[in-house]
Amino acid sequence: MARFAGALRELGLTLGMHEEMDGVEALTQLDLLDRDEVRWGLRSAFRIRRRDWSLFDRLFDRFWSRTPRPDNPTVQSPTDAPRVGKRPSRAVRTLERLLTTVPAEQEVEDGASPGYSPDEQLRRKPFDECNEHDLAAMERLLRRLPPLCAPSRRSRRLVPVNSRGRIDIRRSLRRAVGTRGDVLWLARRAHPREEPRFVVLCDTSGSMDPHARFLLAFMLSLKRVVKRVEVFAFNTSLTRLTPWLSPGRLRARLERLAAEVPDWSGGTRIGECLTEFVTRYMDAAVDARTDVVVLSDGLDGGDPEVLARAMRAVRRRARSVTWLNPLAGDERYKPEARGMAAALPFVDRFAPAHNLASLARAFERGGS
Amino acid sequence: MRSEVRATQEAMERHGYIAEAPIATVVHLALAMRKPLLVEGDAGVGKTELAKVLAALLGTELIRLQCYEGLDVSTALYEWNYQRQLLHLKLAEGSGQSPAQLEQTIFGRDYLLERPLLRAITGRAAPPVLLVDEVDRADDGFEAFLLEVLSDFQVTIPELGTVKAEHVPYVVLTSNRTREIGDALRRRCLYLYVEHPTLEKEVRIIRAKVPGASEQLAMQIGRFMQGLRARPMSRMPGVAETLDWARALIVLHRDRLDAETVQETLGCVVKDGADSAELDPAQITALLEESAA
Repeated sequence: MARFAGALRELGLTLGMHEEMDGVEALTQLDLLDRDEVRWGLRSAFRIRRRDWSLFDRLFDRFWSRTPRPDNPTVQSPTDAPRVGKRPSRAVRTLERLLTTVPAEQEVEDGASPGYSPDEQLRRKPFDECNEHDLAAMERLLRRLPPLCAPSRRSRRLVPVNSRGRIDIRRSLRRAVGTRGDVLWLARRAHPREEPRFVVLCDTSGSMDPHARFLLAFMLSLKRVVKRVEVFAFNTSLTRLTPWLSPGRLRARLERLAAEVPDWSGGTRIGECLTEFVTRYMDAAVDARTDVVVLSDGLDGGDPEVLARAMRAVRRRARSVTWLNPLAGDERYKPEARGMAAALPFVDRFAPAHNLASLARAFERGGS
Repeated sequence: MRSEVRATQEAMERHGYIAEAPIATVVHLALAMRKPLLVEGDAGVGKTELAKVLAALLGTELIRLQCYEGLDVSTALYEWNYQRQLLHLKLAEGSGQSPAQLEQTIFGRDYLLERPLLRAITGRAAPPVLLVDEVDRADDGFEAFLLEVLSDFQVTIPELGTVKAEHVPYVVLTSNRTREIGDALRRRCLYLYVEHPTLEKEVRIIRAKVPGASEQLAMQIGRFMQGLRARPMSRMPGVAETLDWARALIVLHRDRLDAETVQETLGCVVKDGADSAELDPAQITALLEESAA
């Protein structure tokens, strides 16, 4: 039993002593010869979420199969399995290149990134290095992000306050006992301001390279400004970055990021990535109090129908959806790219953001 | 299958809840281990119904706490009856009672309004079934509070002292996953995920709940619903919708499905603008042909 629980843990399922003890107790209540009954019982006692059932079932079958296995029935350690995002060398190099060199405007690799038109890039000044100074400036700006996305909201709960608020009869009366029922002092309660929660989805595909410096500063600063934030990167696949954004030296953090995001500067499949976000993470990450921010140029090589469906699902669950588009800083820009056009109906707020100045302007326009 | 599990399954069926073996197993465990049961699943798969059936088969009271955002202790646990307290204070004026005596009286059990959580704990008779419905709608603060009640089954009221449970209630929590339930609360409970029913189960449910529906109609409805759920719907119809639909068809005296009937009554099943816009007549005909096959 302990070995089974250990193997489940190695697969990344959270399983405490509590669950393990419940599992043992459950076994005493079940028909041990009925494999399925044991399976269902343990699944419940271990609190295995629906999305992890297939994982659980596979391991269960391997552990408790009636035919004795010739070899040791421990599972392969998950390190044998291909881990997503463990391709440091190439990715780090790409990132280093992006950050340290100032590519001449002609050096643009045309056609290398799908869904991306080269002359869009020519119009923009490339970024050079992402430094601490950028991060500080970005942080100052990002402090204004929450009000941009949605006006700060008050919780529906009531907490005691000193002034202005609803009369709290209970506490008032409690005081009044001392004065024989004459209520001389009114206690009050009010709705506290709610802390904003954010989910940020950043496009790290090739077409975003000109904005890489901005993008990185954006990702790295977020966690410092907004306490409750989940950050994801997407290009051809989706990666959860939140655990890698914790404070540290800039160089080390950049390397960590590069190591985590597979296919940095690759192609874009926004629709598929957002769909993956919807099916895998949205239940846990997004609720009616969460604001979702997408930072992407909306140049998508995929099926716009898929993107629209995913965006509708996000819109339905989130409090608001904001799309920051680096291309929209240009006056001539119109959100006509197929992907962008498909996503736009489900976006509450569309704003340009390709460098600090434009983000600041977006805040000025939107924050009023 | 263990005989107790089978007994649970049969008892649930007698009370009109068709439960497959996985559900019966978990319900049996929850009863035997006296652990709260956290039930998750899409809307309309019968999560709340499960608690009702549990109360029916145990022959005890069902106490329901509907959660919503902003739900607080005074609605969930207890509240003092202010009007009576004030009245008493006024009447006691001039009687010379000391403030301490007064306080003792007006903060006594007689002046306490018991809300669902407290009622579930103080029930004198058999242990009740406490249904905490849609716990995901309450905020995390309330969840933490619930956790405290569920782990000790005792409540501390500052003015009154600690109230201990006479009987530990059977607890069922349901969640639609509009928000992830915290790990701590999850840890206290056994976990059950209710899925959309299989065709066979759905037909049995229709037959059990809508006696007017013929075998043939039930089968057609079941097949149609299965086909519908295989599509990428933004709001997946549950068993609740199936039953509504079956009842609507009975009221309209339809004993079989055809394209026209489906078109007229689609509102019973598809409750989302985008979904119903996508289901044009051609799609419906295709679904019907599939379900006739």
